[in-house]
Amino acid sequence: MSPNRRELFAALLAVGAIRAARAADDPVAIPGKRPMILHNDRPEDLETPVRYFDSYLTPVDAFFVRQHLPRPAAIDRGKYRLTVNGMVSKPLELTLADLEKLPQHTLPAVIECTGNGRGFYSPKVPGIQWGRGAIGNAEWTGPRIADILKAAGASESAAFLETDGADTGVAATPDFVRSLPMKKALHPATLLALKMNGQPLPDIHGAPARLIVPGWDGTSSVKWVVRLSAAAQAHNGFFMNPGYRYPKFALPPGTPARPAELEVIEGMPVKSSITSPEDQAKLPLGAVTVRGFAWAGEEAIERVDVSTDGGSTWHAAELTGAKLPFAWRLWRFDWKPAEPGYYTILSRATDTAGRVQPIVSRWNPSGYLWNAIDRVGVTLERA
Amino acid sequence: MKPFVLTLALAAAAIAADQATLERGQKEESRACIACHSLRLIHSQRLSRATWNKELDKMVGWGTKMTDRDALLEYLVANYGDDKPTPPPAMSKP
Repeated sequence: MSPNRRELFAALLAVGAIRAARAADDPVAIPGKRPMILHNDRPEDLETPVRYFDSYLTPVDAFFVRQHLPRPAAIDRGKYRLTVNGMVSKPLELTLADLEKLPQHTLPAVIECTGNGRGFYSPKVPGIQWGRGAIGNAEWTGPRIADILKAAGASESAAFLETDGADTGVAATPDFVRSLPMKKALHPATLLALKMNGQPLPDIHGAPARLIVPGWDGTSSVKWVVRLSAAAQAHNGFFMNPGYRYPKFALPPGTPARPAELEVIEGMPVKSSITSPEDQAKLPLGAVTVRGFAWAGEEAIERVDVSTDGGSTWHAAELTGAKLPFAWRLWRFDWKPAEPGYYTILSRATDTAGRVQPIVSRWNPSGYLWNAIDRVGVTLERA
Repeated sequence: MKPFVLTLALAAAAIAADQATLERGQKEESRACIACHSLRLIHSQRLSRATWNKELDKMVGWGTKMTDRDALLEYLVANYGDDKPTPPPAMSKP
C-alpha cells in the first residue's frame, strides 16, 4: 500500500470507529420517564433537566435515577418478604401487608446523589458526570424503621443497621449493602418508604420498599430493601469503604485519596441551585425571574441571596415552602435588568445552623458533595 | 527512496499502527465493558490517562476479563481523554 493509500485507509478506519461508537450511543426511551439526561441506560443513571424543577414535589416521571447495579427482577408484591435479623430477640419475615399495618408516616424529603455536580469539578474525576439534576424532593410514605426494629426486639447494644437491597453485582462487582448508625436509623423521620408522592413506589425507584434517610446522601437510601440487620459493626463492603467516603482533610486538587483519612459521609451540606434561566440562555431584555431550589441536609434553609453582577452586590431571594429540615425550599428573585449584555447570575444559600454555601467547593477524588455557589451566564438582547 | 518520502512513509505507518491499536481498543471495549453497563457511561467521561488506567484496574478487580488492555487504554485516552471537549448531554427519548 502506498503511503497515501495507507493514510486514506487509516482515515476510513477512524470513521468506521466513530460510526460504531455512535451506534452504541443511540438514544433510548426509559419507560415511565420523561426525556432525561442520559448518563447510562443500562443500568439507568438519569439526570433531571433543570427545566423540570418547577414544582415543590418533583414528579415521579421527572425524578433522577442512580443505579449502581442492574435493576433486580421486578419483585412480586404478594411474594415480597423483608428479613429482619441480626441482634434482635425476634427475627422477622415481614410481608408487604405486615408493613402496611404498621403506623404510616409521610414526609417531604430531598434525595440527592452524593456525586451530584461531579461534572463541575476540575480536574475531572471518574464517575457519572452529573450536573445540577441528580436531586429531587418527594413525599415519602411508609413505616418508621424504629417501629420495625421495635417489633423485632432489636438489641440496645446494636450500633448499626445494615441494609441490603435485592440488586446484586455482575461478575465480581460488590453487592450493594449499606450501614447506618443506629441513632440515625431510629430517628422518627427515617422510613421504609412504600409510597412516593402518594403512589406505590415504582420499580425503578426501589419497589416495593426503600429506605429513606432524610438529610443524608442519596446512597444511604437503599432501594428494593430485602434485609435489615441490627449489627455491632458497620458493614465494610466497597459501598461503605472506600466507596462514598470523603477526605477528612482537604487534598490538593488532582491528588490521590489517603485511605486512612476517608470518612463516611452523613448529613449533606447547604446548597442552592439555579433552575431558571438556564446556563448560556439568550433572553429578550426585560424582566427576568431567577428561580431555583435550596436545601441543607439535616438543617433547614434560612435564606438565599442572588447576585446578577458576578457577586459585587447581593439581593435576598423570596423563599416559598416551610422552613423544614430534609426538604428543599424553592426561591425566586424578580430581576429588572436595564441594559443588554452578558450577565453572570449567582445564588448562595444560608441554613439555620449558619452554614453558608462556599465560593469554591472542596475538590475530592470521588467528586462528592459539590455545593459551590451556583452560577449561570445569560445574554440579554434588545428586542 | 528519498529521505523525504521515507519519512512520510514511516509517519504514515506510525499513524496506521496507531489506528489499528485504536480499532483493537474499541473492539475490546465492546467485548469487555458491556456485560455490566452501557458504553454511554464511558463515553460521557473525559479523564486523564492515569485516571483511565486506574478505572481499568478497578474494573479488572470487579471481574472484567480483558485480553487487550493496552489497546483499550490507548482507545480511551485518544477518544475520551481530559483534553477532549465535554460532550453535550444526551437525552433519553420520549
